[in-house]
Amino acid sequence: MSAIAMEIRRNRLVMSYLIVAMLLVVLVVAGGFLSDRFLTWRNVGNLFQQLIVLGMVSLGQTFVVLMGGIDLAIGSLVSALTVFLANFLEWRPDLVWLALPLALVAATAVGALNGLLTVVLRVHSLIVTLGMSSIIFGATLMYRKEPGGSVPRAFADVAYAKIAGIPVSAIILVAIFALAGLWLQRTRSGRSIYFVGGDREAARLNGLPVDRIVVLAYALSGLCAGIAAIFLTARTGVGDPRIGVALTLQSVTPVVVGGTILAGGRGGVLGTFLGVLLVTMLNNLLNFVNVSSYYQWVIQGLIIIIAVGIHTSRRR
Amino acid sequence: MSIKSILDHKISRKSFIRGMPAAAAAIAAVPGLQLAQATPAAAAEAETKPGYYGAPRTWMWNPNANSMVDTSKWKKAGPYTIGFSNASISNAWRVAFQHGVLWSAGQHRDEIAHLLVTDANDDPSKQIADIQDLISQGVDILLIAASTEDALDSVVGRATEQGIPVVMVDRKVKTPANYITYVTASDWALGRLEAQWLCETLGGKGNIVMLPGIAGSSVAEIRIKANEEVFSKFPGIKVLEKQYCDWNPATGKSVMAALIQKHGKAIDGVLSDSALQGYGAIEAFLDAGYKDGEFPPITGGDVARMYQLASQHNIKMVGIDYPTSMGITGIETALDVLKGISVPDKVEVSFQVVTSPGADTVSVKGDRHLLDHVSMSDPGDLSPSNGLPAGYNPSTFNPDYPK
Repeated sequence: MSAIAMEIRRNRLVMSYLIVAMLLVVLVVAGGFLSDRFLTWRNVGNLFQQLIVLGMVSLGQTFVVLMGGIDLAIGSLVSALTVFLANFLEWRPDLVWLALPLALVAATAVGALNGLLTVVLRVHSLIVTLGMSSIIFGATLMYRKEPGGSVPRAFADVAYAKIAGIPVSAIILVAIFALAGLWLQRTRSGRSIYFVGGDREAARLNGLPVDRIVVLAYALSGLCAGIAAIFLTARTGVGDPRIGVALTLQSVTPVVVGGTILAGGRGGVLGTFLGVLLVTMLNNLLNFVNVSSYYQWVIQGLIIIIAVGIHTSRRR
Repeated sequence: MSIKSILDHKISRKSFIRGMPAAAAAIAAVPGLQLAQATPAAAAEAETKPGYYGAPRTWMWNPNANSMVDTSKWKKAGPYTIGFSNASISNAWRVAFQHGVLWSAGQHRDEIAHLLVTDANDDPSKQIADIQDLISQGVDILLIAASTEDALDSVVGRATEQGIPVVMVDRKVKTPANYITYVTASDWALGRLEAQWLCETLGGKGNIVMLPGIAGSSVAEIRIKANEEVFSKFPGIKVLEKQYCDWNPATGKSVMAALIQKHGKAIDGVLSDSALQGYGAIEAFLDAGYKDGEFPPITGGDVARMYQLASQHNIKMVGIDYPTSMGITGIETALDVLKGISVPDKVEVSFQVVTSPGADTVSVKGDRHLLDHVSMSDPGDLSPSNGLPAGYNPSTFNPDYPK
């Protein structure tokens, strides 16, 4: 790829980020005018506390979308992991140190399996992950049809904990996003995700281990779902076989709003982070201005279409 | 609790002013007790429609003491900001219920400065965020209809720990210590009455299918347990299937259609815990070619369309609405708490038992018949027990309330 093409591509990405950032500024200013409590520290802290679950699943989705696939198993996987965690911790509250790594390993393994299946069967990731989602959902319901289990209070507190007024979960989220960004930009394996997403055949011809990179992207998505599930379980205190249902589609919104294109190869985690912030702040603000919830869905839909529309038209 | 506080409690309630002229004499004799938890909904219709208008039977017939909660520590001066976190407005019941909350807040403009409303779209994670957002806005009290009783338990408990009183309405959370009181109707009584009626109508023998609501919601799960208490007394009753229908007419229809495919005429009765899936089920029987007189007896309440279909096709049914008017009672209960007036630890609003003409059984007598309850011209999605002003139409109703 020529240096000029790289430069143009980078500029386009920067423009995407700027557009989302501008939308964020609009929201903040509008919020400040519409409610005198919106810009209080209390609400900002509250807002950042709400980021982690959507943030983590969206980050996972970003890896997969950049690599040229899509992961529709995220929601079921998160639900299943909350059920596992809450039931395990109800049985042995003292074994938190064991339960969390177990959940992360299982999540990564399921993600890797998704990747393996797309590679081995050569079936589109949409079909593979949709099937996997159905299998996980059904298996979870076989084990537990209703929400249940419990977590020790100290574990639940993690989701609500703050250091110097800043939610711990937000600090962790920012750190993970920063690491992910560095990895994607600065390492050979990270950059190869972009190459595979941009043109899989070209990547193969250039001697990249394409199959391994595909599996890696899905495994990372699984790992992210695992982290999301840990915080979701802490937040709700139970395992709920249906709690993640909405997360699958929700995980795509910040990715596309943040300028990552669904075809793969272009985009980045900063855009996703801004997208997560935008969606979460929008929900928060709409609660503050007390508009009928019917409008909430309309406005959310409009923002997705407008943001993606702007990105796309700039590319033409 | 002093006698005075009991008296204050009763007299303060709007229900007292609005309602129940017939009960006036009894009130004079036993101040307070009679109106313990009277529904304001009852007042407007009392003169025109047959029915039961007394204090809730579950309160009157409770073989144990009705325990009261002292709310004096929550007492504060108004006007108040009330935060209402609704699980969703995804079906006709929830729309009428929310209308009741909004309308009631409009009736109490003198005491309520703001009513802040959020909608979680049946997503517990969104509802947790909604509740945190309401707390951030400095509400004086939270009125919450929980999307699931487990996942919301922790955040409701944390609100209470932060000194914000919580009144649950329609759906509670798991731990009673996490809230002050729960405004509801007795799902236990409802579930037993419907199951008892079905078993007696079938003469204690037959195959039935169960169509409950949303898996994991306290309302649906309690009704199932109450149904099963009754079934355990009737060894001749066999439950062929139990399939959750999410209180959704389309789901009810498709589930019932599949069950008719599978079991055909072997289905002798249908226990649907609401008309939301119940009328969907009747439509499935119609599509399957059932003629008047062939329909199995069915249960369900909540929306007009089921009563209308049952009347039109001479279907034997019993209907008990889970009254949407509990939204109105929810606001009134929240105000009682903020004024330091004692409330029962469970506020159970009254319901009417509605039967098809001639469908009474030994244990279950209708308070009124189908066409006393609804008229054929009512909108199909009307919640008959709404407690809202006459002529209420859910599609055009737009209550003015303090935003």
